[in-house]
Amino acid sequence: MMDSPVVLVVEDDRDMRSALGVALRGRGYDVVEASTGSQALAKFREAPPNLMILDLGLPDIDGIDVTLRVRHEHELPIIVLSARSEEEQQVRALDAGANDFVSKPFREGELMARVRAALRYAPRAREYGEIEVGDIRMDTVRRRAFVNDVEVELTPTEFKLLHVLISEAGRVVTHQQLLTEVWGASCKNEVQYLRVYMRQLRTKVEENATRPKRIMTVLGVGYRVVP
Amino acid sequence: MSLSGLGSSAETGQRLKPYLLALACVVSSSLVALLIAPFSSLEDEVMVYLLGDVLAALRFDTKTSVLTAAGGILACDFLFIPPRMAFAWTDARKMLSLLAMLVVAVVVSGLSQRLRHQEKVARRSASATKALYELNVELSGGGDVRQLAAVTRRRLERLFGGQVLVLLGTPEGTLQGVPAELSQAELGLAEEAWGTGFGAQAELAGYAMWCPVLGISQPLAVIGLKLETRFAQKSAQGLLLSACARELGTAIERMRLAKAAHRARLDAETEWMRSSLLSAVSHDLKTPLAGIVASGTTLLEHEGKLDASASRRLVSGIVREGERLGKLLQNLLSLSRLESPAIALRKTPEAVEDIVASALARLDDLLAPRKLTVELPDDLPWVLVEPALVEQVLLNLLENALKYTPPSSSIEVSAEASAGVVKLRVADSGPGIAEHEREKVFEKFFRGTGAAMKDGGVGLGLAICRAVVRAHGGGIAVSERRGGGTLVEFTLPVMPASAVMSVEPSEVSA
Repeated sequence: MMDSPVVLVVEDDRDMRSALGVALRGRGYDVVEASTGSQALAKFREAPPNLMILDLGLPDIDGIDVTLRVRHEHELPIIVLSARSEEEQQVRALDAGANDFVSKPFREGELMARVRAALRYAPRAREYGEIEVGDIRMDTVRRRAFVNDVEVELTPTEFKLLHVLISEAGRVVTHQQLLTEVWGASCKNEVQYLRVYMRQLRTKVEENATRPKRIMTVLGVGYRVVP
Repeated sequence: MSLSGLGSSAETGQRLKPYLLALACVVSSSLVALLIAPFSSLEDEVMVYLLGDVLAALRFDTKTSVLTAAGGILACDFLFIPPRMAFAWTDARKMLSLLAMLVVAVVVSGLSQRLRHQEKVARRSASATKALYELNVELSGGGDVRQLAAVTRRRLERLFGGQVLVLLGTPEGTLQGVPAELSQAELGLAEEAWGTGFGAQAELAGYAMWCPVLGISQPLAVIGLKLETRFAQKSAQGLLLSACARELGTAIERMRLAKAAHRARLDAETEWMRSSLLSAVSHDLKTPLAGIVASGTTLLEHEGKLDASASRRLVSGIVREGERLGKLLQNLLSLSRLESPAIALRKTPEAVEDIVASALARLDDLLAPRKLTVELPDDLPWVLVEPALVEQVLLNLLENALKYTPPSSSIEVSAEASAGVVKLRVADSGPGIAEHEREKVFEKFFRGTGAAMKDGGVGLGLAICRAVVRAHGGGIAVSERRGGGTLVEFTLPVMPASAVMSVEPSEVSA
């Protein structure tokens, strides 16, 4: 990883933009600012950043369009910002290729935790071999999973599900993404199917399935593994 | 009438009918009189003719009975009064009997005519009353203007046995939905009825009669009636048609008035909401704003001169007040969305434990020092809800429990399936809510006596809870927890069993 990652902040509100700039610089990131979608796309042509924080409500181009266009050519993590009542927008942005979302208003610490997680687990091809996130360890070659070094028996589907979630640790994986990756594109609307398996998986990897600490539910959107 | 060409022979038959009937009556009477003649006197034969006259008068119209009586006099004179087989007008006494015959025939005929007419009128008005009553019942079933028009059309078609067309008016004063096959002349008549408010009758084939449907201030529609037979506008038939049109007009106006009343009530409620909102919110908006501006300007003015702890205090005040404002706005927005009549919930099948877990995770920091019990049965059915809204209900209830109970007291969250719903409960062991306030706490801007002293709230949290639960078709109520404290219970609709997917426990995909 680079010493000081470049974060592109795309936000039309000047106060919000400067607050984000101060906060990110304070944490040692290099910050590039853009106030419109077209400015953001221009910054990509100059020099692609390491991470983009993108407000969905931009004056010129729809934030989801920006996500789609950037994702077409770049692999960087994208965190979208949106108002609390816009869950649908968030899901659409995630399905368009965004990696995470933060609802406004947010506390500085909340956003910075997401930025850190996004940069740490930058998107890459599904990892094989040994993966370790928090106190979960997976051996994808021998198909074995451990929680706190105690092996848990997982069925092949549960293993696949956990593998996808762990590979995206810290980020939200939408229902559709999970269904497509584990069961195939033809099942992408069978959310209940996913829930049944998630219930089973949680009883195996969580101490208390009713108050999960490892695999968190993001209501109406999907799941997130706590890194 | 254009239809008259259809049956000239039939009309000739109609014209000759009284004569033929009278002839038949006279012939029958004469035959009977001839039969009894060998055994009786002249008086008896006269009686036979009289009997024939009375029967004819009872059965047929006046013209026929007078003709019968006249024919009877001639026949009787010719056949029985001497000199027989010749007309003789000499015997005054006999002539008196014959004259009496004529008078009796006319009187009886008149009486029976009147009786028959009355019966006919009564029967017709009874059937018209029945038809109107049935139309009225059907129209009071409600529906929009189109449905009312369709009901009227079906009724009229059955009543008159013809073809009926109802053209509705637009607010701009034109007729809408005019079928293409309607000729220019017919449309002209329809517009005449529409414009003048009087019926318009055509002397041509097609829609022969147009009747306007009048409202309180303007015409609402026109009814076109096409019949195979002649339509008499001024007869009972015409009256019935215009009565039906009046029924339709009344029904449409009634529906409009009901709508207007509903709208007026909504407006009044909105107005009340707005004024009480302004008075309640202006204070709650101004206070934190004043704090933010004061702290901010202090920081600007005394930049570099304040010690670290003082500026920290000011800044954290700004953050706290800002968050309070944000929350207030969020509450107001979700309440206004939930209360808009056109709210469309984005319902999805959800697992109750997911929603509960998500709400608990959000309040993790605040709940950590508390004793929290969560009891969710393993076999809870799926619920069909908008998850973020239900989470908001749980968050509001849990925040209330955290805010209004001592830090050492416990909080319980539990759920239970019961007859088509899932019951969710949030209970605390705090001071509880007084019985007379248990219904009021769900009203907007109501703050319980126990809450009045605490800062931060405006009395919207439970109003939002109730709005969410009601939007999902459930109920919410406060009661006393066994052993003391507050228990809030609300219900959510279970997803219909047909929509629940079964998942094989055995794995198929690898």
